[in-house]
Amino acid sequence: MLDNLPMLAAINLHKTYRKHAIEVPVLTGVDLEVFAGEFLSIVGSSGSGKSTLLHLLGTLDRPDEGRILFNTERIDNLPSEQRDRLRNETFGFIFQFYHLLPELTTLENVLMPKMIGLSVRRWFRERRALKQQATELLDRVGLGHRLHHKPRELSGGEMQRAAIARALINRPRVLLADEPTGNLDADKGIEIIRLLRDLNRQDRLTIVMVTHNMEIVGNTDRVVRLTKGRVEDANNSNSLLQSSLTG
Amino acid sequence: MYKLLLCWRYLLTRYLALVCIVSVMLGVATLIVVNSVMAGFSTKLRERLHGLLSDIVIEAHDFQGFANPQGKIALIQSDPFLSQRIEAMTPTLEIFGMIQFNCNGTAIARPVHIIGIDPVGRARVGGFAEHLLLHKGQPTFELSPEALQHQRSLHPPHRLDRIADILAPQPIDGKPAPEPPPRTEAPPSTIILGYAIAHFRAKLQPDGAPEEVRTLGPGDDVILTTISGHGLKPVEWRCAVCDYFKSEMSEYDANYVFVPIEELQRLRAMPDRATSIQIRIKDYRDLHAVKEGLQKLLPAHWELSVHTWEDKQGPLLAAISIEKGILNVLLFMIIAVAGFGILAIFSMIVVEKTRDIGILKALGASNRGVLNIFLSYGLLLGAVGALLGSAIGTTITLYINEIEQFLTKWTGHELFDRSVYYFNEIPTDLSVSSVLIINVGAIAIAVLFSVLPALRAALLHPVRALRYE
Repeated sequence: MLDNLPMLAAINLHKTYRKHAIEVPVLTGVDLEVFAGEFLSIVGSSGSGKSTLLHLLGTLDRPDEGRILFNTERIDNLPSEQRDRLRNETFGFIFQFYHLLPELTTLENVLMPKMIGLSVRRWFRERRALKQQATELLDRVGLGHRLHHKPRELSGGEMQRAAIARALINRPRVLLADEPTGNLDADKGIEIIRLLRDLNRQDRLTIVMVTHNMEIVGNTDRVVRLTKGRVEDANNSNSLLQSSLTG
Repeated sequence: MYKLLLCWRYLLTRYLALVCIVSVMLGVATLIVVNSVMAGFSTKLRERLHGLLSDIVIEAHDFQGFANPQGKIALIQSDPFLSQRIEAMTPTLEIFGMIQFNCNGTAIARPVHIIGIDPVGRARVGGFAEHLLLHKGQPTFELSPEALQHQRSLHPPHRLDRIADILAPQPIDGKPAPEPPPRTEAPPSTIILGYAIAHFRAKLQPDGAPEEVRTLGPGDDVILTTISGHGLKPVEWRCAVCDYFKSEMSEYDANYVFVPIEELQRLRAMPDRATSIQIRIKDYRDLHAVKEGLQKLLPAHWELSVHTWEDKQGPLLAAISIEKGILNVLLFMIIAVAGFGILAIFSMIVVEKTRDIGILKALGASNRGVLNIFLSYGLLLGAVGALLGSAIGTTITLYINEIEQFLTKWTGHELFDRSVYYFNEIPTDLSVSSVLIINVGAIAIAVLFSVLPALRAALLHPVRALRYE
């Protein structure tokens, strides 16, 4: 029964940004379901609320209205410590501008989620194994030779690969990718999408990717379009989830 | 772990933070040097005062003094409580007066404080003997052979001999004159001069460092003038300089002269009288108990007052303590200024690191974690600054005299005027506890001033931080 339920679901999400007296409604009742092992693309024009939706799904922000469920458990109203832990252990983030920490090497950047999640004592106890794990991950994304380079010494594609390795170090259940190819040329963009596709297929990693590049969405399982703060795709019904919750 | 790593990396990569370190370092170094020098002065001053004043003084209210000091000493010794606690006692007779002497043909006169003492007794109650320049540790009013020779050269006996020969009885009627009484040479009165009365500092060469010039050598004559004990008639007598008293306290070295108590009693027509009894006690912890014991023992009609040395120098010691306190407050304000620097620079760093803060939060860092990064950063900056400041401050304190000599040579201006205190060197008292307190204070200020930017960082909204450009 659980296999039929979405791993991640958004129900009637509303989000409005306010600046002084001006209100900008970004999401106006988004319903979305993401199933385990799925590679979902969210597309839409600039300002359609794609990134906002991704941030809400990843508990980086709270909706004004509506709910977000992870494995049928509501997560949008959790205390901040639990939301921090979710972002550390359950969700992995990759961003358009890579967002690597410039003071750290590639290896240290990849290890950062581990350092955040573990106590100093446990870190020192497990650091050799963790470094080995990070090195293997960087090998897998093709950066085995760039372990001790600082982000400024890497190309855009390499930085995004490092960011993917960082997102994967804690073996997340869902990878949330915000325009991962937005800052890369076409070839590098395709390489990144192939990498994500491989991760999705080989590791059954659930991926939610926000993009406005229609060329790359063909590699994903499903495409959802956001228009004016709502999901346009009629096929994306959450009736199953709603029936299970009300039932 | 990430907090420590980021703290460390921020310290190594943000050169702006070096400004914070330098300001904390300078504040700490200054505080340590000033504190050590102030403490050094204070300790030395206390030592000198204590050494000079003895532990307890029983004083008369006027210059007439009191009669029978030995009887009073005997009375005190008869008290079992006091006799067990008192180590030594000696009477002194003190009076103001004037000293006159000749320096290179110029007659000089200056007011002095004349103290009649028994040198051995005085040495037992305080640090008198150690401050003597020529007879250090062996207090005496005797002239050294060289000084005696010099004194005789000033007053050649042959003149007297000639007069004596003229006045000698002549043979009468062929009978030899009766033998004159044997001629005894009365030893001259002697005096121990305050060092600054007999010396001054002057630049002998236009470009040279100031040097000490002696105006009165051992065996030189001085004339002392004071008043007698009865009728306030002026009394004057000639003395030969036998030693110098160098306590390194300008007030004493420039004003005090010591003469034998018996001589002062005789000249002032005050036999068996004294103005004070100096007392040294065995255990300093009994100071106040002995004082109270003496107050109870001495009858009120004797009109004698009992003071500890701290009572006598209370205002001076309090002034030093207040000065030290005020200086500390002022200098801590320097570190507070450094704190505002930390506040400004940290605020800039937080703005600069806004996106990194968003990344950390996206990766699961808590608000408290981000707060701790910046608080630890403040702590680290404070600690590094304090550590470097301690090293510099301690080094300056330990080599302050060498530094002062170098600067004096370099600038041609004497930074530490030895004629003010007559300290041979700048006294310092480097205390581990005060260095620790300064360090803790500086680090606390650094952390305190990083709280605001750290809170700002911690409360940054992750999405807004990620979108920050």
